[in-house]
Amino acid sequence: MKILLLAFMACLTIYIGYLFSKKYKTRANFFQALVLLCQKFDVEINYSRERLKNIFNNLDEKQKHKLHGIDNNFISFMNKETPLEREFLFKNIKFLKEEEKDIIFMFFKSLGRSDVDSQSKEIKNFQTRFESLSSSASSENKKYGSLSIKLGIVAGLVIIVLFI
Amino acid sequence: MLEKILPNEIFDILKNRVNIKSINEIRLRADKPIVLAIGSQRIFLGERGVTGNLKEALISSKTMIEDIIFRASECSIYSVNEQLKRGYLVTKGGIRLGIGGDIVEEAGKVKTMTNFSSINIRLPHEVKNCSLSAFNFLLSEKGIYNTLIISPPGAGKTTFLRDFVCQLSERNFAYNVLLLDERGELDLGENGNIGNFADKISFARKSIGFENGIRALSPNLIVTDELGQKEDIDAVIYAVNSGVSILASVHSDSIESFVKKPHFEEIIKNKIFKRYVLLSMRNGPGTLEGIYNENFARIHL
Repeated sequence: MKILLLAFMACLTIYIGYLFSKKYKTRANFFQALVLLCQKFDVEINYSRERLKNIFNNLDEKQKHKLHGIDNNFISFMNKETPLEREFLFKNIKFLKEEEKDIIFMFFKSLGRSDVDSQSKEIKNFQTRFESLSSSASSENKKYGSLSIKLGIVAGLVIIVLFI
Repeated sequence: MLEKILPNEIFDILKNRVNIKSINEIRLRADKPIVLAIGSQRIFLGERGVTGNLKEALISSKTMIEDIIFRASECSIYSVNEQLKRGYLVTKGGIRLGIGGDIVEEAGKVKTMTNFSSINIRLPHEVKNCSLSAFNFLLSEKGIYNTLIISPPGAGKTTFLRDFVCQLSERNFAYNVLLLDERGELDLGENGNIGNFADKISFARKSIGFENGIRALSPNLIVTDELGQKEDIDAVIYAVNSGVSILASVHSDSIESFVKKPHFEEIIKNKIFKRYVLLSMRNGPGTLEGIYNENFARIHL
């Protein structure tokens, strides 16, 4: 019974470590997807004046997955199903800090609101900010991502050693 | 389409308390009451429907106006900038938004419009058979007379043109008709009927649309809205000289005012148009006041 309990405790600490690691990876992927989204917007708005809904609908599945539903939440707003409010936009997104949410919210609030030149400048401006967030999220992921799993394993082993 | 662009609370009132089909225009001005044009009446919109009492009228805000324009552009204002530069925006269903705001100029050219402060939402109506009372007068032995529809704004010019095209198709006049829809108002898309023999060029200036359309689509009749500029007149003359009939419209409230309009001297002098149809709002939009020949002699009514 004791061995089973210890095994369970060890698995739990490793799982917690894995969750932390996943959070760092998700954040890095999310910001990377936002940067790609900005690049896509800039091209499609500048060259073909493509409408926002079409751009969102034509995103590839991999990128959609990395955006964690923020694209669908914005499409719901465009379809008049939900208001453009912070809580709706970040529904089901738990891995962002409040100040990051502020920047992303401002980005979505500015989408489609101005002429091509102004829109393009705004997108480029946000892209720079997302690139900076993406780069710090990537280094956090590199630094703490694998460390979290390792710490989880170490913590599990410590528990086993202490209680055996 | 109206439900997609108006705020839900406004649309719900219109849907439940006003007969939407009777509305010609909805006017929103920043911090002013919402005004509906129903027939030739102007009346406020209140929470319980139309009202003559200013205190009960709903007040539109600047944010509301901006949001309507944003929605009408399918959430992509940059994609309709060419229309905005000309002060209007047309939605898919042919609803036309006339827009007031600040014009931004750069190097002497209009760059865009910002700081929107008012909108005039014009709802298109398909008034079946509204052109019938004039229909036979516009047919010649060889086809269709070059015809100009004259009326003040909002008096049914576009509705007349649209119905005339539809009547041609329904009566099996198999003319190739080209709708040159510079402002996107002539064709109502799925909400309207332009018959089976009509092609369409949208959002092109008349000078470009006439030339491209004649070359590419070989029309027998070109139908277009609102002649006004010198280049429009030149395009009409080019089309007539190419053997194509014209059915067009122009803003004016009488024959007397029309003949004084700038740029039309050559057309009048050379009797390019063989028929003039005068419409007014006397008994509501589309009231036929008279049909005139090329010498401005009344031939009907």
